Amino acid sequence: MAKKQKKHLIRLVVQIFFLALIILISVNHFRSEQGLAPLLIGAPSLHAVCPFGGVITIYTYFTEGAFIQKIHQSAFTLMWLVLGLTLLFGPVFCGWVCPFGTVQEFIGKIGRKIFKKRYNNFIPSVIDKPLRYLRYVILALVVVNTAISGKLLFSNFDPYYALFNIWSSEVTRLSLLVLGLTLIGSLFVERPWCKYLCPLGALLGIFNLFRIVKLKRNENICINCKVCDRVCPMNIDISTSKTITDHQCISCLLCTDEIACPVSNSLNFSVLERKNPKEDLKKDSGDKIEESDSGGVK
Amino acid sequence: MKIKSIHILLAIIIIIGGGILLASELDLYNTDRVKSPRKTAEGFYDIYDIRGSHTLEEIEKYYHLPASSAIDAFGLRPDTIPALFQLKDMKEIFKPVELEGEGYVVETDTVKVFTSLYLKIPYVSDETFYLPEKTVNYLIENDKLTGEEKEYWQGHTFKLEYLDSEYLAASEFSRIVVEEAEGFKVTGKTTVKELLDGGITEEKFEEVTGFKVPEDKSVLVRDFVIDKGLEFGEVKDKFAE
Repeated sequence: MAKKQKKHLIRLVVQIFFLALIILISVNHFRSEQGLAPLLIGAPSLHAVCPFGGVITIYTYFTEGAFIQKIHQSAFTLMWLVLGLTLLFGPVFCGWVCPFGTVQEFIGKIGRKIFKKRYNNFIPSVIDKPLRYLRYVILALVVVNTAISGKLLFSNFDPYYALFNIWSSEVTRLSLLVLGLTLIGSLFVERPWCKYLCPLGALLGIFNLFRIVKLKRNENICINCKVCDRVCPMNIDISTSKTITDHQCISCLLCTDEIACPVSNSLNFSVLERKNPKEDLKKDSGDKIEESDSGGVK
Repeated sequence: MKIKSIHILLAIIIIIGGGILLASELDLYNTDRVKSPRKTAEGFYDIYDIRGSHTLEEIEKYYHLPASSAIDAFGLRPDTIPALFQLKDMKEIFKPVELEGEGYVVETDTVKVFTSLYLKIPYVSDETFYLPEKTVNYLIENDKLTGEEKEYWQGHTFKLEYLDSEYLAASEFSRIVVEEAEGFKVTGKTTVKELLDGGITEEKFEEVTGFKVPEDKSVLVRDFVIDKGLEFGEVKDKFAE
């Protein structure tokens, strides 16, 4: 159990690192506007370090050879790096790197303490499932409207920009409203922005259909305890699939046998197909009894 | 092969971290804004892409609108430095006005409309329906308006007022480096060249900053010292001593 918690910490450390990095960049940007020297690192604008900036300028870049207003070359480069990472491992950016996802997750821990098992289960499936596709509508609207106008319209309601640039006069009331609703919503639903509205998450989520490293469940040794379903922040039905290709997966690894799944080799990220699942069954039968007591971490 | 957290951590370090380092080496990770506006299908710079961060000099460079014309048309101080004056600086100079029940600030969009009329390039604004009286008069005096345009804009003007009533009077003083009895005043917009022209010797510059005078003297003193990890406020005070 202790070993499993330690592995769970790896993601937490990465999340805290990127959250601290973005806060530092934001503080430095503020300092530089005041004529003060930046601390430790430079003082780029938040637009320069968000890969979504690369996504929304892609049309303008390939048709006119220029970036749209407020978008920097670094955002364009970051987009390609994130897409490469996603092609390999799925939306790792969402589950490990995005500071706004991290903030929602941290607030969600309070919600989980308050609502216990009801947390992240408030919205009926009938409403929840279609709402999950809303982010694709937003992605299409943002990309098309940005291509037409050449302006960074998304920043008018971008809660990420509002949160980490709250001191700036560029933050709109609408984005503050979206931010407030998202943070409050995080007390009831895990990662509400990621699930329903995030356009970058929508784009990266598509990669779950064909990513190279896949999340696989070994039906032959799975004990159907459904721990994986319960720990999944995105409410994916993992226990009924063989290969999880759900567009909402954020590659957090919480469900895998490294963290929550009690059966070794039953659920993990792997790059090659298992040749003989029966062999796995034999090999892991001992581990199964030994580890089944460990349970999930959430 | 089973992928664990440690592999994801390594992938993030290698792909994101390594990618940024490699891109920086290849000059593909520039966090400064690319200021060149986008072009229209006809190959001209698009008026719609004039930005608040563009300086008057850049407007002249990309759109061939003389900076002196913009200075005159908007009643800016005659000693305004085109290379330093950004369009968004206008909101720090002019008072917001109330037009048809809504607040309006003379800023980037006003310059877009002015540029469009001056250069006779179409631009449809969704916020500027009035122009400063001074600007309209300038366009008429320079024969930049057609009869129809003249009729419209003459009926849609407002009086331009400065936030600081001493704004124009202040132009009697030296524009950036102000020589005062007690020394020099360096602002965030002072370039190294202006600093040297203002009487600071290269030796004094080295003594204060600990670095040689850069080859490119058009760089802002503020940017230079921040880039070297120094506190601009402290350096500024030392130059004033």
